Amino acid sequence: MLEIKDIHKSFGDNEVLKGVDIRIDKGDVVVILGPSGSGKTTLLRCINFLDRANKGSASFDDVHIDFNTVSKKQIHDIRQKIAFVFQNYNLFANKTALENVTEGLVIGRKVRKKEAEEIAKQALDKVGLSHKYNAYPSELSGGQQQRVGIARAVALNPDIILFDEPTSALDPELVGEVLAVMKDIANEGTTMLVVTHEMSFAKDVANRVIFMDDGVIVEEGSPTDIFIRPKEERTQKFLKRVLPEDYTFYI
Amino acid sequence: MSESLNYKFLWDTFFVALSGVPVTLFVTVVALLIALPAGFLLALTRINKIPILNRLAQVYVSFVRGTPVIIQIFIVYSSVPLLLDSFFKANSINMKIYEVNPIWYAFIVFSFNTTAILIEVFRSALGTVPKGQLEAAHSVGLTNFQAYRRIIIPQALVVAMPNICTATVNLIKATSLGYAMSLQEITLKAKVAANAGYNYVEAYIDIFIVYLILCSLVEFAFKRYEQRLARYKPASA
Ligand SMILES: Nc1ncnc2c1ncn2[C@@H]1O[C@H](COP(=O)(O)OP(=O)(O)OP(=O)(O)O)[C@@H](O)[C@H]1O
Ligand SMILES: [Mg+2]
Repeated sequence: MLEIKDIHKSFGDNEVLKGVDIRIDKGDVVVILGPSGSGKTTLLRCINFLDRANKGSASFDDVHIDFNTVSKKQIHDIRQKIAFVFQNYNLFANKTALENVTEGLVIGRKVRKKEAEEIAKQALDKVGLSHKYNAYPSELSGGQQQRVGIARAVALNPDIILFDEPTSALDPELVGEVLAVMKDIANEGTTMLVVTHEMSFAKDVANRVIFMDDGVIVEEGSPTDIFIRPKEERTQKFLKRVLPEDYTFYI
Repeated sequence: MSESLNYKFLWDTFFVALSGVPVTLFVTVVALLIALPAGFLLALTRINKIPILNRLAQVYVSFVRGTPVIIQIFIVYSSVPLLLDSFFKANSINMKIYEVNPIWYAFIVFSFNTTAILIEVFRSALGTVPKGQLEAAHSVGLTNFQAYRRIIIPQALVVAMPNICTATVNLIKATSLGYAMSLQEITLKAKVAANAGYNYVEAYIDIFIVYLILCSLVEFAFKRYEQRLARYKPASA
């Protein structure tokens, strides 16, 4: 469904993505792991054109683009198929929870307002915020804001949702509620590409795990492949660092 | 000069000063109608670092801010007619440039001046809206234009409103300098009335009161509008 080939991105002299290939099929839940600064956020941002890749190509169903020559129209078309959940939520501060969700539907997707409100209410109900339709982001907790962020993405009914560390800005006691919502929508068959440091989510929910380091994909496979039988030394080192001490894997 | 205040004159001249209010407001409104969009667009060129335009806007702002309004008035009032006159003569257009209503010069000076102020007001206000707001708007499929109109500008406006209020009040007060080019506004009208009997103190008191009332009303209106706009708290970066 989505296939990215040989994507490169530099900030000045700093080459952050050094040729990454990714393929995502419908219904996949792919988790990207990797140390800080390895280029995970940049990869997601390039897929959605929030940053502009320097080189590479992408196929999205019938839309094929080259990152060097992509047109505004193509960017707009591809963004219609992708939704993004941000690390720091980025809810529209001047809009209520409900308006945050309807905005993309009414303005971006040209859905009629009445219909958009129905869809938005369903999405907010799904993330457990039926009682917060009219709250402004500043009136919501971090966990609630991120759940609105997820509802905003889900409501667009995109082909894929990109998550960039959706829980890492949250207080520890709020992480669970957001992960639970993500698990729900994954179980409904939503295609997801998730950058996270939540190993439990990677193990329990993902069907594929990618380990990135220093701008390249070091290793990828099923959760079992990566967590139980990591092949690469870099992967092993990383997992040793982030997993509980008594955790052992077979080499 | 009389020993005490001439209360009858004070009273009568108050209404003379008041009769200058429409001209003052007219100049203010026209200047704002030009300066608000122009200032906003030029602020965008500053923020997005559009080559050339960005530099031009920067130079323009420092010129206007670095010179007294009264000097700007003198320059426009004396040089624009000269320029236009020679332009009309060269193109053999028959127009009596020295009969032009000074309000046109007032429009030019105060639009120019206010635009420069508002460029800086909008620039700093747009800078307070976190980049993530625009990115989120793009991610849900809004175009740049839609994102600015629906997400960025409303938020920037809330931040800018107190400064726009200050700029408007300063503009109203600055139009009093219009008397230097015979603009029929509050100050000139009252002063002319005072000339006959040298009742300057009374005239100045009247002028003082009229501006005070005018500016207080404008500030009050802005405060009300600000409260209406700011139903939410701004996004944290
Ligand atoms: N806008 C930018 N300008 C310059 N350098 C950038 C920019 N964004 C990211 N970088 C650099 O790119 C590299 C990769 O950053 P990125 O945010 O993609 O890492 P990450 O894997 O998401 O890390 P983390 O786990 O900390 O979020 C870093 O060295 C970072 O300094
Ligand atoms: Mg990151």
